[in-house]
Amino acid sequence: MAENPAYRLWTMRILYVVLGVTLIFLHLLPLDTLPRSWAGPDIMLALTFAWVLRRPEYVPPLLLAGMFLLADLMFHRPPGLWAALVLVAAETLRARYIGLRDLTFAVEWVSVASTLVVIMIVYRVVLTVLMVDQAPLGLSLMQLIMTMAVYPVVVVVSQTVFGVRKLAPGDIDALGGRT
Amino acid sequence: MARNRAQTTDYTGPLKRMLIGVLVLVLIGLFLLWRIDSPRVERFRAQVIDRVVPGFDWAMAPVTGAVNILQDFQSYQRIYQQNQELRRELQQMKAWKEAALQLEQENARLLDLNNVQLDPRLTFVTGVVLADSGSPFRQSVLINVGARDGIVDGWAAMDGLGLVGRISGVGDNTARVILLTDTSSRIPVTIQPSGQQALVIGDNTAAPPIDFIEAADQVRPGDRVMTSGDGEVFPAGLLIGQVAEDPGGRMRVRLAADYERLEFLRVLRNYGHERVTDPGNLIAPEGLPGSEVGDAETTAEGADG
Repeated sequence: MAENPAYRLWTMRILYVVLGVTLIFLHLLPLDTLPRSWAGPDIMLALTFAWVLRRPEYVPPLLLAGMFLLADLMFHRPPGLWAALVLVAAETLRARYIGLRDLTFAVEWVSVASTLVVIMIVYRVVLTVLMVDQAPLGLSLMQLIMTMAVYPVVVVVSQTVFGVRKLAPGDIDALGGRT
Repeated sequence: MARNRAQTTDYTGPLKRMLIGVLVLVLIGLFLLWRIDSPRVERFRAQVIDRVVPGFDWAMAPVTGAVNILQDFQSYQRIYQQNQELRRELQQMKAWKEAALQLEQENARLLDLNNVQLDPRLTFVTGVVLADSGSPFRQSVLINVGARDGIVDGWAAMDGLGLVGRISGVGDNTARVILLTDTSSRIPVTIQPSGQQALVIGDNTAAPPIDFIEAADQVRPGDRVMTSGDGEVFPAGLLIGQVAEDPGGRMRVRLAADYERLEFLRVLRNYGHERVTDPGNLIAPEGLPGSEVGDAETTAEGADG
């Protein structure tokens, strides 16, 4: 598919932006304006974490921060806070990328889930401290659990459809080095 | 090769970490700025949305239409039954229409007898709903009219029948309407016929609760809830819905507006009311003919006292 690593790198970065914008677009469709009693998963977050743990170079910090800031602005969330937390979480995962690369998927899933829980707690605590109106706890929990549940699906889809897999020994990575 | 790689990561590491640190600081700074000076950041948000959402518009209409058709398709299965129901309802509606027409005529006659002046400036701009808030946690919609059409923050948005929400955030071509069901929505209301004052507080459910009722025992399910105009939030007398009691015994509003299908919204132009600021002159205005007599009287009274 891609002989030139740099070409593939930029294709995948653009693909990440396209996927993010598509997800925002799907969320914005005015399909039901009644308050919902359920909350779907945050697929964009799962996608970001899955890619960070597979090919960190496809999701550079600047791009990630930009996408989540856009989502914050579009979804009428407090701007910046969620983006900052996601960025910190993604960088923590990225730092553990080398260690997690050789372990099983279960370990990866657990570490992603714990990261999700931590940023959710920090988010709610900060909003409470600064006395910002926030979503009902039940809905947030539901979204958290749904995101955890959907994570393996996102991983499988990004591996099969978009070809974002972990580097095997001997592969050439995007920067042209051999792992 | 491996050593080379290690070295390059050593060189880029600190730089990268600094970039990430700066990014996080900028984002948190933006959040704090939003917390301190909300209107400015909200204006920025409105501008961003103004750029992005109309760009989506060409794709949104067909996709929304297709999904709605799919949803409607399910109801075709019981189309006969529905038809019968509709016929029955139509029959009832005809009776109501007759009653409404008579009442309207009577109302017009009475208004004429009393020489009542309706506020001529209460006109509206109609907009199409472009997008919803995109998350289950916030209840708002974007409409395709904005500052270009003279929309101002705080105006009321209605569908044909009842109040839907309040303009909050105006871009050039778009405006955001915070719905009554949003957790940040608080609307001062009057409950008729008892005339009780209360607040309708959004809580992310389809029927927002009514709180701070003065005498709760005078409010019955089925009473009409209208805006009261207190706090100059909205013009007075816009219909919101009917009082209903939930299983927990709490008073809620069943909203008159059809929240399932918000397609067109009317934004009411409202330039506020003139206020009476000078209570002293009400007794004897200076500009009126005969004001000198009034002055003389008051001085005479003062002397008497």
